[in-house]
Amino acid sequence: MNARLRILGSGLSAPGLPDIDALAAVLAGGELGEEKPGSGSISLLSPRERRRCPETVRLSMAAAEQACRAAGIDPAQPDAVFTSGMGDLAISDYMCRTLAETPELLSPMRFHNSVHNAAAGYWSIGAGACGDVTALSGASDSLVTGLIEAAGRVAADRRPVLLVVYDTVADGPMRAVWSARHPFACAFVLGVADDAEAAIELHAQEGLRQDDCPPLPAALAERSADNPAARALHLLTLSLDRAHGPLRLAASQGPGLQIEPAA
Amino acid sequence: MKDLHIAAMTLTCAAGSGLDALRASLRDGKSGLRRNDYPNCELDTWIGRVEGVENVTLEGDLARFQCRNNQLAALALDQDGFRTQAAALLERHRPERIACIVGTSTAGISSTEQAFRELDGAGKFRPEHVMPWVHTPHTSAAYVAAALGLEGPVQTVSTACSSSAKVFATAARLIESGWADAAVVGGVDSLCLSVLYGFHSLELVSSDPCRPFDRARRGLNLGEAAGFAIVEPRPQASLGRLLGWGETSDAHHMASPHPEGAGAIAAMRLALERAGLAPGDVDYVNCHGTATPMNDRIETAALKTVFESPPPASSTKAWTGHTLGAAGITEAVFSLLSLGDGFLPASLNCQDPEPDAADFILRAGRRQKVDAVMSNSFGFGGSNCTLIMGAA
Repeated sequence: MNARLRILGSGLSAPGLPDIDALAAVLAGGELGEEKPGSGSISLLSPRERRRCPETVRLSMAAAEQACRAAGIDPAQPDAVFTSGMGDLAISDYMCRTLAETPELLSPMRFHNSVHNAAAGYWSIGAGACGDVTALSGASDSLVTGLIEAAGRVAADRRPVLLVVYDTVADGPMRAVWSARHPFACAFVLGVADDAEAAIELHAQEGLRQDDCPPLPAALAERSADNPAARALHLLTLSLDRAHGPLRLAASQGPGLQIEPAA
Repeated sequence: MKDLHIAAMTLTCAAGSGLDALRASLRDGKSGLRRNDYPNCELDTWIGRVEGVENVTLEGDLARFQCRNNQLAALALDQDGFRTQAAALLERHRPERIACIVGTSTAGISSTEQAFRELDGAGKFRPEHVMPWVHTPHTSAAYVAAALGLEGPVQTVSTACSSSAKVFATAARLIESGWADAAVVGGVDSLCLSVLYGFHSLELVSSDPCRPFDRARRGLNLGEAAGFAIVEPRPQASLGRLLGWGETSDAHHMASPHPEGAGAIAAMRLALERAGLAPGDVDYVNCHGTATPMNDRIETAALKTVFESPPPASSTKAWTGHTLGAAGITEAVFSLLSLGDGFLPASLNCQDPEPDAADFILRAGRRQKVDAVMSNSFGFGGSNCTLIMGAA
C-alpha cells in the first residue's frame, strides 16, 4: 500500500522547540533548550480559557494553530485527527488519586476534561471547526496510526486534513508505564499531492518493528527516543528538506511506514 | 463509495450475551439494569453490569492485556461464533489486509484506579500493576488485534460516547483508500469509578432506572458493553449494509450539547447525503437517548428538524445503561437486528413521553419490516456520529 501526500504546513510545540523555526535552528547546529513553550501563541482561546484548559490542550493547540497558519488555511475548515498514546496523564493521575481517596469530591470539570478527545474538543470549540474532529490512540504507535488515518482521509475525501500528534509526561506512578521526560506536540496540514508538487510517499511496511531513520543531531535524537510522539521530529526534518534518506517508522502491531520524498 | 456489508456481528451487554439473548430481552421488555453493586462505589443508582466479567482470565501472550475492558471484550468475542467468523475472514483476506478499529472511552482505567488504590509505600505502582498494555486508551484495540491475529492497521477511536459509531466510518475510509480490504470494528467500555463518580459530579446520574424521552426522566444509568462487527465489501453472507455516516463537531462546549442540536442535525444530514437517501426513506431511528433532561430534549428537536415527521424511534439505553464508548456498536447492532428481524424495540421505561416526542417515540415493540435505519451517537467534546444501515 502506497499513499502520496503533500505537507501544506506544519507546527511544533515542545520544550526548547516552540515552533518550526526553532527546530530549523537546532538542525543548523544551534543548541536545544528545555524552556517550556508558553501558551501566548494560542490565539484561538481566550486568556481565561488558556488558563483553565489542560496542558495537552495548550500543547496540541499551539502546534495545530501554527500548522494551519503555515498552510494558509482557516482553522475552522479542515477535518482534524488528534492522535495520542496516553491522552492527558496529569488528569488521569488526578482522577485516579481522587477516586482512591475522596471520590465524592471529584471535580466535574476535570472529569469532562478527562476524555481522550478533550484536546480535539477544545480545538473544535476554539477554531469553530464543525466538521469531524476525531481523537485516536495507538499507544506507542500513535504517530503511525494518525498518519495512516490522515492519509486515508485525504485519499477518500480529496481535501486537506489537520493531523495533530501529542503526548505528555507522567509525573506520578504512571511513570512506570510511560517513561517520557519531555512533552511533545506537532501538527501537519496534509493535502492531496498533485503530480507537479513536492510530495511525500507513505509505504506500508509489514512487520517493521524497529525505527530506521537518518540520524538527527544528538539532542533531537534524544527527544525522539524519549517520547514516541517525538518520533515525528524525523518527519518534520524531512519536510524541512533536511533528512537524508527515507524514514522507517516502526509499529508494534500492524504495518509500519516508510516515508520518503516522492520521486 | 464501495458497497460495504456487515458480514458478522456480536454484542454482550447487561441485557444479554450474544444476539439470541438480546433478541429475547428486546422482545420481552427485560431490562439488564440492576441496583448499583459495583465494588467501591456507594452511589444510589442503577447500572448495566455484565455477569461474569470478573471470572475471565486472559491466557498466555494475552495475559499482558488482563483488565476488565479486555475481559469483557473476550466474553463478547466468545458469542455468536465471532471468533470462527474472524478466522473465516482470515481465510478470505491476508491478515495484514484486515484492519482492527475499536472504540472506547475509558479503556483499562478501572485497573489504573486499582493501581492507585494500592500504591506502595513510595507512592509507586506495585509490580503487579506495571502493565503498559493495560494503562493506555489503546488497550482494547491492541488486545482484539492480538487475540484474532489481525495484522492490518490497528486503531483506537476515543471520542467519548461517539467512539464506536465512528469505527464504521474509519473502516469505510481505510477500505476505500486501499489501506485495508476488510475490518473488524467494535467498541468496548467497562464500568469504572471514573464514569460512575464523574457523571455523578455532573449531576447526570439517575437514582432510578433511566427513562429515555419520558417527561419524568431524571438522568442516565451507566452500563458496560462490548460488541464487534466485520465490515467487508463482498462477504459470503451479509447481515446488512453500511449506507452512510455523518461525523460532525458541535464546536460549542466540552460537556453540554449545542442548544439547538446543530452538530446532531448536521451529522444526520451528512449521513443521509452520503447514503443518497431522503429523510422519508429512513424507517427507524435508534436514538442516542441518554435520558438526561437536556439530551433527549435537544435530540427530539434535532429529529424534528431533519425529519418533517420523524419515523418510529426509540432509545435502547433502559436495557443496557449508557455504555459510553461502546454505545455506538451496541446501538449499531440493535439497528442491524431491527433490519434483519423486522422488530423495532420500544423506548423501554418511557411511559409518558415528552409531548414533542409522543408522535414517534415507540412505547411498545413493533413488528415492522424496515429497509433503512439510523443510529445516533453524541459525545463529550461535541463529537457526533450518525450511521445509516440498510437491509442486506
